[in-house]
Amino acid sequence: MATERLPRRFIIPILLSVLILVAASMFPGGFFTWLWDRLNIFATVFLGIFVEAIPYLLLGTFASGLVEEFMDRDWMSRWVSGRPAAAAISGAFMGMIFPVCECGVVPLTRRLFHKGLPLSAGISFLLAAPVLNPIVIISTAAAFGWGGMLFWRVGLSLLIAIVTGIIFSVESDIGKILKPVISLPSEHDHSHDSIRKTFMEKVRGALLITVDEFFDMGRYLIMGSVLAAGLQTFVSQSILLTLGSGPVFSVLIMLLLAVLLSICSTVDAFVALGFVGTFSFGSVLSFLVFGPMVDIKSVLMYLQVFKKKSVFYIVAIPFMISLLSSLLLNYLSL
Amino acid sequence: MPTRMYRSFQGLLLMGLFVFFASKAVNGQLTWYINSRFIPLILFGTLFLAILAQTIFSEIKRLRKHNKELDHTPEHDHSHASPANLWFMLIPLLIGILIPARPLNSTAFETKGLNTSAPMVSSDTSSLIFETESEKRNILDWLKLFNYEDDVTQFIGQKASVIGFVYFDKSLGPDQFYVSRFVVSCCAADGFAIAIPAHWPDAASLKKDSWVIVKGTISSVEIDGNRMPLITAATVEPVDVPDQPYLFP
Repeated sequence: MATERLPRRFIIPILLSVLILVAASMFPGGFFTWLWDRLNIFATVFLGIFVEAIPYLLLGTFASGLVEEFMDRDWMSRWVSGRPAAAAISGAFMGMIFPVCECGVVPLTRRLFHKGLPLSAGISFLLAAPVLNPIVIISTAAAFGWGGMLFWRVGLSLLIAIVTGIIFSVESDIGKILKPVISLPSEHDHSHDSIRKTFMEKVRGALLITVDEFFDMGRYLIMGSVLAAGLQTFVSQSILLTLGSGPVFSVLIMLLLAVLLSICSTVDAFVALGFVGTFSFGSVLSFLVFGPMVDIKSVLMYLQVFKKKSVFYIVAIPFMISLLSSLLLNYLSL
Repeated sequence: MPTRMYRSFQGLLLMGLFVFFASKAVNGQLTWYINSRFIPLILFGTLFLAILAQTIFSEIKRLRKHNKELDHTPEHDHSHASPANLWFMLIPLLIGILIPARPLNSTAFETKGLNTSAPMVSSDTSSLIFETESEKRNILDWLKLFNYEDDVTQFIGQKASVIGFVYFDKSLGPDQFYVSRFVVSCCAADGFAIAIPAHWPDAASLKKDSWVIVKGTISSVEIDGNRMPLITAATVEPVDVPDQPYLFP
């Protein structure tokens, strides 16, 4: 960064701001109050998503830190079968041990890959854990009761996670799926390599990893929340909802809403409840199944861990399966 | 970026987040963003942020000591993620500080829509609403009663006293206005706007989005083909924004 280049770096921003000011002065006076009102809504919605997600992100990154410090490198390969189908199934149920939502699951999955988790198990864990964990099951039951919706939500999520996991097992070279790990935060303390760490040192190490991953993943949480809040502030959902009639459109609209709203999977059941009157069973189900797997912020996080092509499949396969099964349910008019 | 500087920024940002969350908790503004049932969770998160900040600060101290003792090349570059990660954490802090906090209001109706029927929430509470005194029912309670009960004539003439913010709509007459609230299940992102029409001769003197307490009697009207409660107001008085601006289903 040479000093003589500094002025040039400022020219474009200055020109731009002058241009914006000139353009702004041509707007009618009401425009600014309109914009200011919108900005207020934007801030409230953004902070709503952010405040709600932070504790869950902290839990997920802390789990990742604990895994790094307290789990042996080959622990995973000893416990999870090498056969793709078996690995995918056990991966899908691992959420019962690691209760994380879609914000926390990404850093944790990356860490587990680092610890030797097979690819198919990791993918199905990534997709299933945000639904198949005690917290989400209880909150879904609280909203819908111990009945059909809970059963279908868990069942369909399992199916999608396992199928996607098995599909990914076709690729044996994990390096083609994952981004190369250049900077996976880990606490490297050169002097302690050979000596066994004490318990407190391990806890300290886990907390430091928590911080690094919190910032690492928080970036994508923030970008995702900004996008989601922006869309909510400027795109009318009531129009979406009126469009959402008919067995096909209603599913598509619910899938779209699941992505746009970007609500944490631990609480989305209560939000879905609000759609029960207007939307069919199958459509609400698609919201509950697809939302935890894919939304704006989780896709941004996936891009951090997986290569672009893999992210495409992680999004497309769940999309197709949840679309098809919800359509089927709608036509059977369950 | 040298490790110690990177750690210092992390520590400062964690402190900033902690102060931000803690101040929202202390002045009771958390319910402007989330459903009150998640407050314990947020408080736990706030505490955890403080623990993390403390860990980072003691780590910085340790690094400094470590460097002195071993006569290390002081600031060797660690393979840390880019500092860009850090600057992103400033976004929520800046939004929180620069844009004055305000609960959702009628501006959000343009994108979120306004509903005069209750969201479908566990309707088994409607028997409880029956038992509550009519003057203690809120907007959501009244809408639920009118949605789920076949015979609404039993409510006509009951006394009502509801709090909400003012909204004017084309579907209403000149001496009418909506008393509105947002229903929030999780966070402000899922805010669902509901409203009850009120009749008051002085309606035109009210300001849009101002908070009022409306006292009067309930009757039933049909607007655009939907049956809903209407409050014929005896008094409409301004009130402060309630501690919990949203209703929680």
